[in-house]
Amino acid sequence: MTDDGRVREFVTAFETLRAEVEKVIVGHREIINHVLIGMFAGGHVLLEGVPGLGKTLLVKTLSESLELSFARIQFTPDLMPADIIGTNIIVEDADGRKHFQFQQGPLFAHIVLADEINRATPKTQSALLEGMQEASVTVGGVSRPLPAPFFVLATQNPIEMEGTYPLPEAQLDRFLLKLRVRYPAIEELNAIIDRTTQSRQVVVDRVMSGAKVLAYRELIREVPVAVHVRDFASGIVMATHPQWADAPDVTRRFVRYGASPRGAQALILGAKVRALAEGRYNVSLDDLKALAAPALRHRVILNFEGEAEGIDVDTLVSQIIENVETSTAQSREPFVR
Amino acid sequence: MTPDAALDRLVRRVGAQVRRRRVEYHALRGFFWASLPAVALLALKGPLGPRALPAAAALLIAGVLLGAAWGALKKTSRADAARLADRAFGLEDRVATALEWAERPDRTPLVDSLVADATARVERLEPRHIVRRILPRETRFLPGPLVVALALTLAPALPLPSPRLPDFMGSSQEEDKDKSTGSGLLEERSKPEARERLRPPAFEEREFQARSGASTASTAGDLSAVFKDTSLSSQRPDFNSFLKRGDERLKLLEQVDRLPDLASDFTASQYKMVFRKSKALSGGLRPDQISPQKLKELLEEMERLGRKGGNWSGDVGEGMEALEGGQTDKAMEAMQKALDKMRAQEEAQRSGKGLRGGRDSERGGGSRDRRGGEGGGEGEDFGEGEGLLPGKGKSGSPKGEASRRLSATPYDVGVEGESRRGRKDGYDTNMTGRGGPMASRLHYLGVIGQYRKLMEDAITREAVPRDYHSQIKDYFQALDER
Repeated sequence: MTDDGRVREFVTAFETLRAEVEKVIVGHREIINHVLIGMFAGGHVLLEGVPGLGKTLLVKTLSESLELSFARIQFTPDLMPADIIGTNIIVEDADGRKHFQFQQGPLFAHIVLADEINRATPKTQSALLEGMQEASVTVGGVSRPLPAPFFVLATQNPIEMEGTYPLPEAQLDRFLLKLRVRYPAIEELNAIIDRTTQSRQVVVDRVMSGAKVLAYRELIREVPVAVHVRDFASGIVMATHPQWADAPDVTRRFVRYGASPRGAQALILGAKVRALAEGRYNVSLDDLKALAAPALRHRVILNFEGEAEGIDVDTLVSQIIENVETSTAQSREPFVR
Repeated sequence: MTPDAALDRLVRRVGAQVRRRRVEYHALRGFFWASLPAVALLALKGPLGPRALPAAAALLIAGVLLGAAWGALKKTSRADAARLADRAFGLEDRVATALEWAERPDRTPLVDSLVADATARVERLEPRHIVRRILPRETRFLPGPLVVALALTLAPALPLPSPRLPDFMGSSQEEDKDKSTGSGLLEERSKPEARERLRPPAFEEREFQARSGASTASTAGDLSAVFKDTSLSSQRPDFNSFLKRGDERLKLLEQVDRLPDLASDFTASQYKMVFRKSKALSGGLRPDQISPQKLKELLEEMERLGRKGGNWSGDVGEGMEALEGGQTDKAMEAMQKALDKMRAQEEAQRSGKGLRGGRDSERGGGSRDRRGGEGGGEGEDFGEGEGLLPGKGKSGSPKGEASRRLSATPYDVGVEGESRRGRKDGYDTNMTGRGGPMASRLHYLGVIGQYRKLMEDAITREAVPRDYHSQIKDYFQALDER
């Protein structure tokens, strides 16, 4: 198949998958897009929103539309690492001899829904780290690879903080994107009511295999990025660092720690998927702008002043982008130079 | 693979547009900056004559051409032009990425599709101007020089001030001159007005003096009257306050006998000569760094001078002994003592009748006579049981009587003035008399070198503005010369 054909196939697959999810999920087009971007980019996605907005349903629907195994882990304070990774148990063979056998935990699935991830203790949360980063887990000194593609979708409730363990920065950094699920508009709410209170059952078709997902991941990495686009991405990430010499005032004032290099990787990879999903063969500056907030909002840590003044990280990121865009446009105006 | 011709064409077209705008931009800048000397040329229309206008026009044209050439010579990179095209035509960075990746060895298979896609989109574009015109900042100020240039072109030549000195001849003489030189009639008519402007302030003062009706006899005795009712009182507030306060310097002027003899040669002063040599010898060095040979030579010279009637021979002798014993610091101290004595003797000679002769007896008074005419013993200043302690002394007041001040007179502690050299006139005052070389004072030579070294360190270490460095050094130089 030609490259042009592969791209057209990806665009079709992307739209088909989205359409399947939208059979169940009303609205949230951007959230669905970003979840798919996260999956095709090979990252993990953290969904944050108040209860009842369909976060879990979205992940379940996505798993149903893919020919992939799915596991749901409800995170609770008494959940132990072995409960999600698995453990060695003693089994007796036909000869009556006993030996240890590894019993896989729910993490050994293609799509893992870590529901209410911030309810588990940090010990259990950390058990996810290796799996998310290395796509393998180590039990009893033996490293066991997770199935590919491996995709973690975690949800958390931003309001109910009692009895929760906020994810540490290291864990947050492992998520490619953090998506904020907002309350639906009235039209969307009406559609939800109509769709969920009738007897009509929605059937979601499995439209994509795991092998296809892996193939698309390879294709996505071939998308070319121009130097000025890459510089714009690194400029955005660097501008989140208050210590950077050219950091904007808003960063210096409200930010304690800026985004890590993983933030820049997330930005570029997400932008590549977005470009390809739109049938474009290159990453544009608009792709980066669209992906900046989901890729950076959980990587920018506000300082005390920022927290005290209730600074919204999304607004902060958009201001940083404006600042970088202005400075870049000025410095690169060929006419002025 | 090379980029498609359509992409190349687009980039070249955008590059040409950029160049055109740059030519306009820099030509305008050149026009503005050339207009300034052009205006100056037009202002000199008088001396330059009819050549001024074409010269100004030539300057303007040259400015425009130079600016345009500068703009045309500036290069526009292909990447910049491609980005500009992407932005202007909404191509979402397709052209820039295609051009960049088409020539890269690590290009991916998707690049071919990208180039084809970008080419197809570019071919569908309708060519239009995408580079907006930017006016340089100088354009805002351009009307100023243009209006001035126009006015100067239309107006007659400006009269320029004559470099000749003002003519002090009387009007009758001028008239005579007019009669004799009929050719320069126009020039002479314009002279009186210009001359009036060029008059130095001294002439105004003379006029005020004459108008106030004061005779020369009255002004000679009362200097302040000269300035009181004149415009100078407002023009020179500093001088006015100087008069009102009765500055010490004016009082000094009355004491002719205390003024230094500025007319005398510097070398006539033994003290100054020796002092300068000693300063050159020490020069901020520690005693152990001073050359013993040179110090010995200086001490010998001081000894020779002391034989002619000085009282410092003893100190010089001590210094020589210390030097022979290898104690340079003691030798320096002895030299300092001898210098102090030299200075005291010279001051006594310079004060005309001496501290204790002549006018001393006139000004003295009985109280000082009681103390032996030399200020008396220091213990006699306060009586027994007197002083500042409360409840002490004869007074019934719980705080006691106010202590008497030390009755210092010019004979005990005097002040001498010396004109200071430099741009501004001024006086340096020094203590003279018995209180001058007080024991509590540090040896001047001993400290001035150290202070100078500290100053050198300080101005390099501290954030002292560079302009002040020379002033500070001059100040210390002035201290050294005292």
